[in-house]
Amino acid sequence: MVPEFQPVVIIDSPAYDNHDTGGGDHPETQERLRAVRERLNAGPLASCLKWVLPRPAAREWLLAVHDESYLFRFEEAVLAGQTWLGHQDNQICFDSFDSAVMAAGAGLAGVDLLETGVEKLVFCPVRPPGHHAERAMALGFCFLNNIAIAANYWQQVYDRQRIFILDFDAHHGNGIQAAFETSAAIFYASIHEHPTYSFPGSGYAEEQGLNGGRGATLNIPLPPGSGDDIVLEAMKEKIGPALERFRPEALIIAAGFDAHGQDDMSGLNYSTILYSRLGGWIRKWAGQFCGGRVLSILEGGYNPQALALGVESYLAGLAYNKR
Amino acid sequence: MYIKRYMTVNPCAAGPTTTIAGASELLSENNCRHLPIVDEETRLLGMVTDRDLRSACPSILTAPQALTPEQLEVAGQPVSRIMSRDIVTLNPLSTLDDALLLLDRKKVGALPVLTDDGRLAGIFSTRDLLQAYRRLFGLGERGSALISVRDDGRPRPLSRLVRVLEEHDIHFSRISRRGGEQGGSGAESGGGAVIYVRVNTFNLHAVRQALEQAGFIMLDQGD
Repeated sequence: MVPEFQPVVIIDSPAYDNHDTGGGDHPETQERLRAVRERLNAGPLASCLKWVLPRPAAREWLLAVHDESYLFRFEEAVLAGQTWLGHQDNQICFDSFDSAVMAAGAGLAGVDLLETGVEKLVFCPVRPPGHHAERAMALGFCFLNNIAIAANYWQQVYDRQRIFILDFDAHHGNGIQAAFETSAAIFYASIHEHPTYSFPGSGYAEEQGLNGGRGATLNIPLPPGSGDDIVLEAMKEKIGPALERFRPEALIIAAGFDAHGQDDMSGLNYSTILYSRLGGWIRKWAGQFCGGRVLSILEGGYNPQALALGVESYLAGLAYNKR
Repeated sequence: MYIKRYMTVNPCAAGPTTTIAGASELLSENNCRHLPIVDEETRLLGMVTDRDLRSACPSILTAPQALTPEQLEVAGQPVSRIMSRDIVTLNPLSTLDDALLLLDRKKVGALPVLTDDGRLAGIFSTRDLLQAYRRLFGLGERGSALISVRDDGRPRPLSRLVRVLEEHDIHFSRISRRGGEQGGSGAESGGGAVIYVRVNTFNLHAVRQALEQAGFIMLDQGD
């Protein structure tokens, strides 16, 4: 029997290809999104996908998450022809600021579609990624925190007060956690490689939120080498119960694919098929709590082929129409 | 590594005539468990711990409603009657290792830090020790990852490794070696030693390439 899939909106922009990290051995390359587009257009999901352009994020939504002085510093750095921001990991070119603003804008356009259109599933394959970026610091190839900007926008514009963010990138999303760790209304859950070994060195299970946000942060660090079984168990035993307790009105996924066994940017060992299982869990929870609506935004994934297959597998699991 | 950088300065302290009730209150108010007892010139006379204070008091279960005359009597006694006088101390130039060895050997929770003329300069607890090593190990520092590299047995592995990292402008904050002929099982690298490096970069792909070009093998942490 041929599987049936729900429609998925893909918010993509040529502006993402303008962010040039300088070649050489930098893994956050244009090739990543090219591989994703090629795979999605050629694979079994192609007929269910609707490609939409984003808009640049308005300044006020960037300022909700980042300091104005940082935004100026970032913009001035690219205009001045600097090649990195803060650390040599964070390579930039003349167009990087515009690419980053367009990456942040994809989440906002996605939220609008989910709230005003008929679409339920939105995926934003953006560059540069965002979950390591903090209020005034670029980190780990990230400049603007796309997920945090989208979550704040969703809350402010559409009055969705309880937002659950699930991050399955191999690395802890320190920037998302920092943005919301004192908030009880935005729950951040992350499954990642253990911070003793892995970048960025945060995301211990002990980190559970601060002050009024205590209990609204859930970190699930995995030992290096961890594979599908331990992730599925965490989804069932930890993420599911956290969602049941929190009962979100909106669901945002920080979708990173660098835990794949063929990606050398982490020591985790996920299979391609795991991502469709993750998509399946997320589809189920979205139906249960959020009217089926899910906003997914790309984070890491540095082996272009493994990334493309992982994205396709995730979207297939998310969009699978069970009859 | 000197204690003076990690100790608690101006710790709460009391005179020998402070009552047991007063000492209990001091510890409770300051959320600490060790009270140095000093004379007027802050020279150390002894130490009282919350455990000493509890041992000196009759059980609260014997009179849950109101203090008995016996309890009132105990509460009014001076701490000099129960303080330990045989105290092991540190000085500000003791090292973290000195403190670790002493805390471990004496099985105490804190050590007073005295100046050369015996005045109280601070106190150093096991919690301070944990905090100090936490900082030294870079726990929770943003933007780093721990890699392990097989020591191939060729001469000067550490200096060769450092040179590769520096030549590729890969910043790092800590490097250590374990196993091999200097002890340890070395099981992680199939019998040889392992070198651990905390690198301050996300680009582990580049780190791996640089090391492999120089003949090193980066190990999977899960091995």
